[in-house]
Amino acid sequence: MSVTNTSGGKPQKKNAQMATIEENGPSTHAREKLQRLLNKNMRIRMTDGRTLVGLFLCTDRDCNIILGSAQEFLKSKDTFSQGEPRVLGLAMIPGHHVVSIEAEADILDDTQAFGVNH
Amino acid sequence: MVMKSSGEEDDAGWGLGIPEKMKNNANWVDITHDFKSSCKELSLGELLHDMLFGLFEAMSAIEMMDPKMDAGMIGNQVNRKVLNFEQAIKEHAIKVKDLSLPELIGIMDTCFCCLITWLEGHSLAQTVFTCLYVHNPDLIEEPALKAFALGILKICDIAREKVNKAAVFEEEDFQAMTYGFRMANNVTDLRVTGMLKDVEDELQRKVKSTRSRQGEQRNPEVELEHQQYLALFNRIKFTRLLLTALIAFTKKETSSVGEAQKLVAQAADLLSAIHSSVQHGIQSQNDTTKGDHPIMMGFEPLVNQRLLPPTFPRYAKIIKREDMVAYFGKLIERIKTVCDVINTTNLHGILDFFCEFSEQSPCVLSRSLLQTTFLIDNKKVFGTHLMQDMIKDALRYFVSPPVLSYKCCLFNNHQAKDYIDSFVTHCSRPFCSLIQIHGHNRARQRDKLGHILEEFATLQDEAEKVDAALHSLLIKYEPQRQHLACLGTWILYHNLRIMIQYLLSGFELELYSMHEYYYVYWYLSEFLYAWLMSTLSRADASQMAEERILEEQVKGRSSKKSKKKKKVRPLSKEITMSQAYQNMCAGMYKTMVALDMDGKVHKPQFELDSEQVRYKHRFAPFNSVVTPPPVHYIQFKEMSDLKKYNPAPGSADLYLAASKHFQQAKFILENVPSPDPEVNGILRVAKPNFVVTKLLAGGHKKETMV
Repeated sequence: MSVTNTSGGKPQKKNAQMATIEENGPSTHAREKLQRLLNKNMRIRMTDGRTLVGLFLCTDRDCNIILGSAQEFLKSKDTFSQGEPRVLGLAMIPGHHVVSIEAEADILDDTQAFGVNH
Repeated sequence: MVMKSSGEEDDAGWGLGIPEKMKNNANWVDITHDFKSSCKELSLGELLHDMLFGLFEAMSAIEMMDPKMDAGMIGNQVNRKVLNFEQAIKEHAIKVKDLSLPELIGIMDTCFCCLITWLEGHSLAQTVFTCLYVHNPDLIEEPALKAFALGILKICDIAREKVNKAAVFEEEDFQAMTYGFRMANNVTDLRVTGMLKDVEDELQRKVKSTRSRQGEQRNPEVELEHQQYLALFNRIKFTRLLLTALIAFTKKETSSVGEAQKLVAQAADLLSAIHSSVQHGIQSQNDTTKGDHPIMMGFEPLVNQRLLPPTFPRYAKIIKREDMVAYFGKLIERIKTVCDVINTTNLHGILDFFCEFSEQSPCVLSRSLLQTTFLIDNKKVFGTHLMQDMIKDALRYFVSPPVLSYKCCLFNNHQAKDYIDSFVTHCSRPFCSLIQIHGHNRARQRDKLGHILEEFATLQDEAEKVDAALHSLLIKYEPQRQHLACLGTWILYHNLRIMIQYLLSGFELELYSMHEYYYVYWYLSEFLYAWLMSTLSRADASQMAEERILEEQVKGRSSKKSKKKKKVRPLSKEITMSQAYQNMCAGMYKTMVALDMDGKVHKPQFELDSEQVRYKHRFAPFNSVVTPPPVHYIQFKEMSDLKKYNPAPGSADLYLAASKHFQQAKFILENVPSPDPEVNGILRVAKPNFVVTKLLAGGHKKETMV
């Protein structure tokens, strides 16, 4: 999976959103950072303590996130099915239920998108 | 930038939830803050996504933390531990021995309720398998409960097998998924019924020992114990009888169906006793303050929550104990009716039986049992007759075609035999499907009836060809006899029946709008029933012709037989009924037209469709049929045009005409000897309709809407 490149050469009609990204000058940096995370594994903890792991596919201003091939992990305690993930598939996590977001370190190293200090 | 390393918090918190693979290679880095602040930079409504991922794909995502979509959410909101069977035993949350009588009764009743809820179309995981005991009966030490748990599992297993085999269910009827649960397959049926019988005998001894003796002072405690033992005894016996009856249905002999009927009748006798002792069982601990589900010992509604697909209706609403007995009562009644099918030998009779049974919208289990009883392992009817022979009998009964008559030269003509045999063989599959269709639920039936018309159209074509071939053969040998349109008439009859059923089911399912009624009724009265009547009388005539020939042959040898004996024509009932129906429909058609004239029928403003489009759609399946030819909208408009009468009738004339039709229908039906419920049913409609249309014709209450 290659990081999506926002440079030209794509059919214009195919993605109107891309066009807007390129047009919006000042905050392109933030967009690029997010772009580089697309199709990467992401781990999101939700307000009820569950954790979802899946491919980052889509987000918006309110930080609603869509994960592909998501798997659900329960919080470790008080459940008998420890460690067994449940396959959810495509899942959208509303922004206000997102507690924390994590990405894999090596991806961050490669893309240099987010400053990582570890 | 605030960056947390994937340090302590993770390992303590959710690290445990991640499988080894994930844990090893992933070095997770928290990017929450950075991510969120980047998101803020996006403009309102903007989506950041990959090229290949668009809004369309996004739509199919399930929304987390949405109570309607997120099945996993609920388990986390309940403030109690969800334990599986083994864990519950370890934590002593559940007893596997020394259960009190009220506990046993309560558990069994709840199990019955779960069983019924499953049969009504919920998943096993949310019903029967919310009972922890059935997860592993081997761990139960209490013999009564162990036998009961095994019995329930066996009942589920056989019911599932039957329903699967009959294949007359859709997802709305039945969930066949077993989620890998073990259905007591390691124990034989015989062993389970044996165990139940042992428990039953043991309980019977207890019941006897606590029974009141004459002259003895009754201790109320002993009396209560007696009642409870009796309640338990009845439940175990009921389970055993139900299971044995279902086992009987899996056997191939027809005699076992009669046995099953006897068994369910015995089970039905226990129901009132079970009903009156429901209060002896423990009730669930109703802690419903937080919208939580009531919890019973031994039951955990959430135990299988993780097995369900990502989106799944939350709780299956388990039916109440009081309703459980009534449901069993009805189920048993249905099963008893199913058993009666083996007393019907004629194919037409069987078809009618299936139609009638289906009209009560029976449950999927009884429907499936009927299917599997009819065609055992899809080969022979009731396990004994060949479908081909049934069809030949039906033909003889309906049109008495010369080719199937023993007295006809064609009967032993091998070429004729080839013709008729191959035709009958071709018939058997569509007729089996037709019968199978009647096993589906009512809404699906309509859809499938529309499709099977295509197959019958092909049969019709073949029937006509075979008729012609047989006729040319016959006139060579017996020039005075005819073989015209015999088989064709028979197929046409079934064609018409299917078409009528298709249209009528639209009324039952409330598919038509009021303003559509008039052309549906027109199609029925002017067209289908008219065709049906002429088909029936043709069949009747052909029967008579055949009988006459037979009589002549008999007379030739001995003139003993008196001609006076007038037999009741076998088809006369059907002819009468279709006349009545035709009149009813004609009456309705004229009433609808008249109502429309008076502006009483609300007609929508057609924007995207028109009456023609609707008409075409309503009768679309009929286009595949050659005889009777479909009537197209233009034709219909021409044929039903009132202007062709001079002077054109007004609404009052039409009401009057309609009332005459209803009167006629009433008259016909009242003269039916030995009226069955069907006749009485239409009579009940015909009478008031007659009165109302008469009133309307007289201009009564013109302004009201019916």
